[in-house]
Amino acid sequence: MPHFVVMRLLQMIPVMLGVSFVVFISVYLVPGDVARTVLGNQASDVAVQALREDLGLNRPLLVQYGIWLWDLLQFDLGYSISQRVEVASLLGDKIVNSFILMGFSLFLVVAVSFLLSVFSATHFRSLGDRLTIFGTLLLASAPTFWLGILLLYVFSVKFPLFPTSGMYNFFDPGGFWQLVHHATLPAIATAASSIAIVTRVSRSAMIDVTNKTYMTALRSRGIRRRRLSYVHMVRNALPSFVNISGLQVGYLFGSAIFSEIIFNWPGIGLQLYNAILQRDVPMIQGCSMVIALTFVISNFLADYIVRALDASKR
Amino acid sequence: MHPNAEMTVTHRRAKKPRSSIFFIWRGILADHYAMCGALILISVMIAAVFAPWLAPFDPTVSFPRLRLEGLGTPDHILGLDHQGRDMLSRLIWGGRTTLFAGITPVLLSALCAIPLGLVAAWNDRLGSVIMRVMDVLFAFPMVLLAIMLAAFMGPGMLNMIIALTIVLLPYNTRVVYVAAQQERNSSYIEAAIAAATPTPKILFVEMLPNVVAASIVYSTTIVGNIIITAAGLSFLGLGVQAPTAEWGIITSDGRQYLFNAAHISLLPGIAIMAVVIAFNLLGDTLRDALDPKTRLALTSRK
Repeated sequence: MPHFVVMRLLQMIPVMLGVSFVVFISVYLVPGDVARTVLGNQASDVAVQALREDLGLNRPLLVQYGIWLWDLLQFDLGYSISQRVEVASLLGDKIVNSFILMGFSLFLVVAVSFLLSVFSATHFRSLGDRLTIFGTLLLASAPTFWLGILLLYVFSVKFPLFPTSGMYNFFDPGGFWQLVHHATLPAIATAASSIAIVTRVSRSAMIDVTNKTYMTALRSRGIRRRRLSYVHMVRNALPSFVNISGLQVGYLFGSAIFSEIIFNWPGIGLQLYNAILQRDVPMIQGCSMVIALTFVISNFLADYIVRALDASKR
Repeated sequence: MHPNAEMTVTHRRAKKPRSSIFFIWRGILADHYAMCGALILISVMIAAVFAPWLAPFDPTVSFPRLRLEGLGTPDHILGLDHQGRDMLSRLIWGGRTTLFAGITPVLLSALCAIPLGLVAAWNDRLGSVIMRVMDVLFAFPMVLLAIMLAAFMGPGMLNMIIALTIVLLPYNTRVVYVAAQQERNSSYIEAAIAAATPTPKILFVEMLPNVVAASIVYSTTIVGNIIITAAGLSFLGLGVQAPTAEWGIITSDGRQYLFNAAHISLLPGIAIMAVVIAFNLLGDTLRDALDPKTRLALTSRK
């Protein structure tokens, strides 16, 4: 196990370097002069030149990348053009807020899809099972941005049960339950399609386990059906459940961007969206870099947990 | 097309080998869900292609007096939007844009991925370089990479299609690469090497047909997802631009009118969902029909 961890950590280094290079080089996709695009047509040549100098655009490409990477390693992501503050200082809070939303969503994915798939697999081919499958088909096909708006419309506009935006009440902020109250709708919107996928995959994994010969052997030894389903079936299907849940983390990152925008959740996705609207290049780079790095790390953690749970790989 | 499974059947009954189209057709007929999917998809496709004739109004013409009217307005069954444009017409025209923007990147990236994957599977050194580059692209969440590329390239349909093609490339290449690596050790390739067949011919004549099926199956499973992502990029203002009718843009237009005209935002989402469900239902059948191991079951089930 320690060997596996060291190997995976070493493998992550070139991937992270590659990620940073892609984020760095993407600036050159901006048509024409970056500094000119950022400042607009009315900007004076002096201002454009100053910004070019500031962004380091006058140096050779590899030198630019080296400097950028060196700054990145010291958590220096440059200055935000629109807000005139260090990007890194802004992103700290935002990433925590995003983690809170992701945490709620991941909790929903794991809890709901676990319950649904156990129910579906134990009631294989019943009406409930069919309804579950139909529901997952609908959820998997709904765009997050639309689902968010639908939830907002039904539960905030039609029946004002939940707040429309933000993380806390403006007048008396604070409290865990207030946070839960605000996070419910965005977390459901973020989690929906992942719930559908995890439910489907783990349901079929559980049905596969039920058909295994060792399950027949257990049944012939007179083990109660309930114990058979809820202990043996679930335990043996757990690695594939955890595996598919881990793979969903990437999807959650993507959907969270949309829910943050729709529910005005002050996370990194909303920050990225605002940076795009303001053509704030260093901020776009910073947000993308942080999300991608978090994604790489969370993939590693998911891999580690799967390993730890799977008896055959231990 | 593929050896083994079919050969025995065709040999015994002395029939012509059946084409993939035959198995897809049989699969759709045998499966009610796939039939539903096919029907939805065909009607949406017809609506998209014949939009200029089917749409009751021009999607950009507005009726200012009727703006924000809801469902069931006379002459405008699905209501009107914030500028008084007919929603039904905008949805029909929007389907055209959304489907084009969602399907084109899937086709383009499959076209680029097939040579990349084949070469990567054939030449180990080149292969490890190609696959390492793909690993780096894999390290981005799909939606984030699409947003980042589209944001830097600037808004517009063409830029969005390029961004989505790049985003899909690692997934497609890996599918082709894995399929090609399995083929590489099979006996017909050994025979081709022994016969001194030039490498390009081995790759693109011998190997290609057996790899394409994997790529097509993957593409059908991903196309729904890409339609959602394309609509999402337009929703964010990174894709198709405002006056054009597009499902993502219509949804985003309606956001400010959620309190008094929710139909503007909610209708296009239903359209997206219907199309994506149709693709997902069809995808399963297509996978069975194109896999030589399961395709025979489609004919015997009848």
